[in-house]
Amino acid sequence: MSSWLDYTINGLIVGNVYALVAVGLALIFGVSRLINFAQGSIYLVGAYIGWVAVVQLHTPLPLTIIVVAVAAAIVGLIIERFGLRPLQNSVRIAPLLATIGISFVLDQLVMLTFSPNPRALPSQLPDVRFQVGGGTIGPLDLLIAGVGLTSALLLFVFLRYSKLGWAVRATAQDRDAAMQMGVDVNRVNQAVFGIAAALGGVSGLLVGMYYNQIDTAMSLQATLKGVVAEVVGGAGNVPGAVIGSLLLGLVESYGVAVFGTSYRNLFAFLLLVVVLVLRPNGLFASARQAPPEPLTGTFIAPSRPVRIPRWALAVAAAIFAILPLFPVSFYVLQTLINAWLLGMLALSLTLVAGTIGQVSLGHAALLAIGAYTSALLSLTLNVPVGLAIIGGGLMSAALGTLLISPSFRLRGHYVSIATLAIGEIVSLVILNWESVTRGPIGISGIPPLSLFGTELISPTSIYWFSFAVMVVLALLQGRLLTSHLGRSFRAIRDDDIAARAYGLSLNRYKSLAFIFGGFAAGVSGGIAAHLYSYINHETFNTQQSILALTVVILGGLGNVVGAMLGAVALVGLPEVFRIAAEYRILIYGIVLLLLVRFRPQGLLGTI
Amino acid sequence: MTASTPEPLLALSNVNTFYGQAQVHFDLSITVARGHIVCLLGGNASGKSTTMKIILGLVKPRSGDVTFDGASLVGLTTPQIVRRGIASVPEARRLFADMSVRENILMGAFVRNDREAIAQDLDKMLTLFPKLGQRLSQRAGSLSGGEQQMVAMARALMSRPRMVVMDEPTMGLSPLYVDRVLELIRTINQEGVSVFMVEQNASLALEIAHEAYVLQTGKIVLSGSARTLKDDPRIRDAYLGGAEAA
Repeated sequence: MSSWLDYTINGLIVGNVYALVAVGLALIFGVSRLINFAQGSIYLVGAYIGWVAVVQLHTPLPLTIIVVAVAAAIVGLIIERFGLRPLQNSVRIAPLLATIGISFVLDQLVMLTFSPNPRALPSQLPDVRFQVGGGTIGPLDLLIAGVGLTSALLLFVFLRYSKLGWAVRATAQDRDAAMQMGVDVNRVNQAVFGIAAALGGVSGLLVGMYYNQIDTAMSLQATLKGVVAEVVGGAGNVPGAVIGSLLLGLVESYGVAVFGTSYRNLFAFLLLVVVLVLRPNGLFASARQAPPEPLTGTFIAPSRPVRIPRWALAVAAAIFAILPLFPVSFYVLQTLINAWLLGMLALSLTLVAGTIGQVSLGHAALLAIGAYTSALLSLTLNVPVGLAIIGGGLMSAALGTLLISPSFRLRGHYVSIATLAIGEIVSLVILNWESVTRGPIGISGIPPLSLFGTELISPTSIYWFSFAVMVVLALLQGRLLTSHLGRSFRAIRDDDIAARAYGLSLNRYKSLAFIFGGFAAGVSGGIAAHLYSYINHETFNTQQSILALTVVILGGLGNVVGAMLGAVALVGLPEVFRIAAEYRILIYGIVLLLLVRFRPQGLLGTI
Repeated sequence: MTASTPEPLLALSNVNTFYGQAQVHFDLSITVARGHIVCLLGGNASGKSTTMKIILGLVKPRSGDVTFDGASLVGLTTPQIVRRGIASVPEARRLFADMSVRENILMGAFVRNDREAIAQDLDKMLTLFPKLGQRLSQRAGSLSGGEQQMVAMARALMSRPRMVVMDEPTMGLSPLYVDRVLELIRTINQEGVSVFMVEQNASLALEIAHEAYVLQTGKIVLSGSARTLKDDPRIRDAYLGGAEAA
């Protein structure tokens, strides 16, 4: 592929595929103001069902498409009925978290059924290419364009001329008023989830055929791209989602043409951040409406925190402190070291997501910044490791806050999308900025942990070091929460308009929260770098961000003790029960789902 | 209730409503007789709009009963209640802003399936609200407040309701439209539709209502026929500028 026309065709075809995902997201956002993070998982399921149909059942192409659409629609209906409908009267964050949990469960089920190895998905179409102007086009390109156009047409007819379509549009514009016209919004939700899932599933099938390969990593990518396209077009705006998708496809394709393949996603996420900052309602939103987000206060489950007496905390800390003096196995210490590192990340996230209400889905980026800074400081500038880790913390605090600052004016779901994108951007910059980060090779030979010239090699010393750091950070954070500053944070979370009316500067307090949280996460990343001795751009990924969020929700949003308890529980329990690694993510997903459904305030309650 | 009074169309009896810990209604009892216009008066935060929501099933009472035509509405969903024959003109109109005026009016007939009769009713609405004729294909959000109120009323009537509930139908309208709306409510009522309306503007409401209730912080403090209430000094003091007169 070489000519600009080729890149344009490729961009439009890929854009068509994104559109199938994004239109579903837009429909769902329209009727239920929910960003469905499980959309990519349905796309993944569609691709694998397609694989079964093509490779094992040898279905002809039209039948394959129908099978995939129907099967994916059924998955969508199940998600709506059992995953989301029970949460209807729950806090606003609940369905969002539920879709994240559902996506973990679905992805992992696919992985367990089909193994994580990529599979070839033959396209069932002759492999010929026709000359068109200066470029070429193949039958698969035409099929994708055809499916895209047909779906758009069917959707238009449905929304414009069918009774259910009218109900969908009315519900999207005013849910309560639609109910007062006699519209059964549950049926509308069902219809929308079914349609979105069918489109998403077919999209997965087509992508698999286009690249002749499917693997389980497709899921998150598809969700991210769909969300980007949808937000660019204006959340909930169906035609906007189509145009946003085509635009995204073109931007990516031209970006690849100029800079190379590894820049593809970078352009996607930069586009998203630019749109969120300049036009948070999307390119095509009319200026008249405010973003349909509630006050952040209603976004988080309110509750009474469980009171734990100080002596009990002291006793617990003492037990963990003297644990290595007893004959415990290396394995137990190792597990707990991981828990302490995750605990630091959770402290950071519980402050940002719980105390000040900015639900971040890109927290692993702060780990990465801290880890790379600390590793490079100690390797290239020979800074002592102890200082390098602090440097990592400071860099995460500064750079993390700077990167996230454009999203300070956003609320609710949009904060989550922006942080997710910023997290991806950090990882992609690390991948592409080879002169500093060594790109895809990663950084190896990172010196081990040391303190005042003494190397910490034994598990016992590493255990004490990481535990002590976590406890100090927790004490600082506990102090912070009882101060005037902590109160201001919570005021902003509970009602940012009222907080502003009382003279609190949202930007200043959000910055302070991210500075403090960034430091804790950066220190955690720094310690991890010296512990692992090798890191690359994938060491700290979105899965870790979501794991941290699960920990925080398990402990109770904003709850310092809860963050540490959650970390020990989620890292420790799977070890105790010797659960195989590939089932762990499944369990995290299920834990998240159960929490959201039955105890949204977490074990110890939100503060 | 004595045997001589006919069974009311709508009855709220001893309704208690809570938002979390806060009680909104205290033993609220209201009846709407068949063919009557009944008005619920009250200031801000008196629980008026919540009363509407209780009738429509958008908010559930903690105790008490709501009956329509003798059958309880408690436990029914909003769409089910609409199908029983209650249509609504919500506060601030709540039109489907991005749908056309025609689509908005037809959405009112969502619970019906008789295509031809629906088309006839649409024509009937255009004679009742002649101004909407030229606006049919326009976006509903682009209409003026008064025109939107017309659309909202036409939309409510399209379900051929036995009762219409209206939340502050004159709010934010120009005086010209206020008169027009009140006249229309009377017309609707004369065609046999009962009306339950919530209003802040007592003098206007009492002009067209048969009965009225006065709600204060969730309790009915006064009720009776509109004629007697109009002359009641307490109403005059509270709503009709009695303080100035005194």
